[in-house]
Amino acid sequence: MNRVKLLFFATLRDRAGTKSMELEIPSELTVQGLKEKLSVEYPRLKESMSSVLITINREYAFDEAVIPSGAELAMFPPVSGG
Amino acid sequence: MEFPTIFSITPDEIDLNDLLSKITLTSTGAAAIFAGMVRGTTSRGEAHDTDYLEYEAYIPMAEAKMKQVADEIRLKWPIVEGIAIVQRIGKLYPRTPTVLIACTAAHRDTGVFDAARYGIDRLKEIVPIWKKEVSPGGESWVEGHYVPKAGE
Repeated sequence: MNRVKLLFFATLRDRAGTKSMELEIPSELTVQGLKEKLSVEYPRLKESMSSVLITINREYAFDEAVIPSGAELAMFPPVSGG
Repeated sequence: MEFPTIFSITPDEIDLNDLLSKITLTSTGAAAIFAGMVRGTTSRGEAHDTDYLEYEAYIPMAEAKMKQVADEIRLKWPIVEGIAIVQRIGKLYPRTPTVLIACTAAHRDTGVFDAARYGIDRLKEIVPIWKKEVSPGGESWVEGHYVPKAGE
C-alpha cells in the first residue's frame, strides 16, 4: 500500500466536506482506479468524477497514470481564474 | 541581460505602477497590459448582478503554471522583455481588478499585444484558480471548460 495526500478545491472541496485527506492506496493504482475508489467510498463525489481534473505532484494527470507513493494529489473542476 | 518575469498570487491590491516599473528596462518602449475586474452587472448571455466573487487557488501549482505561461510567451514572442502575471484572491467586489497580465517590449508592433492576450487566455485554461460568484439569488462556483492535455 502507498500513502498519499489528496487535496480538494472549489466544488470538490464542498462535496468532500474537507480540504484534504490522507489515503492508503494500492501500489500501481491508476488515476482511473482512484476515481472509481472514491466514487464508491464517497458517493457525494461520484457525480463530479466525469469532469474532474486530477493532478499528481502539481502536474495534470490522466486516467492511465500510476500514482506514485508519497504523491500530492489534487482534485478540482476545470479552472476559472482571471 | 536577464529579462524580468514576475508571477504571484496575492490577497493584496494589485499595484500596476509597481509591476510596470519592475518589467520596464532601459530598452523598453511599450507595454501591453490586460486587467480583469469584477463585473457587477452582466448583460451578455444570462443577465444578472454580482455582489462579489470569492477566489481561491492551489497556490504552489498555480505559481508553477504561471511560470509555464510566461515560458510559453517567451518561446512564441522572443522579443518580449518583461512579463508580469498576477492574480488577486479572496473576496473581491465589483470594479476591483482581479488579474493583471503585462508584457513589455522595445516597440508596440512586436506582437506584444498578442503576447498579453495569450497570457490571459492561458491563465484561464491551465492555472488552478477558481471563483465562487455570490449574487442576490445565491452563490455558485464558476467552472471553466478547458481540459488540459498531457504535458500541460
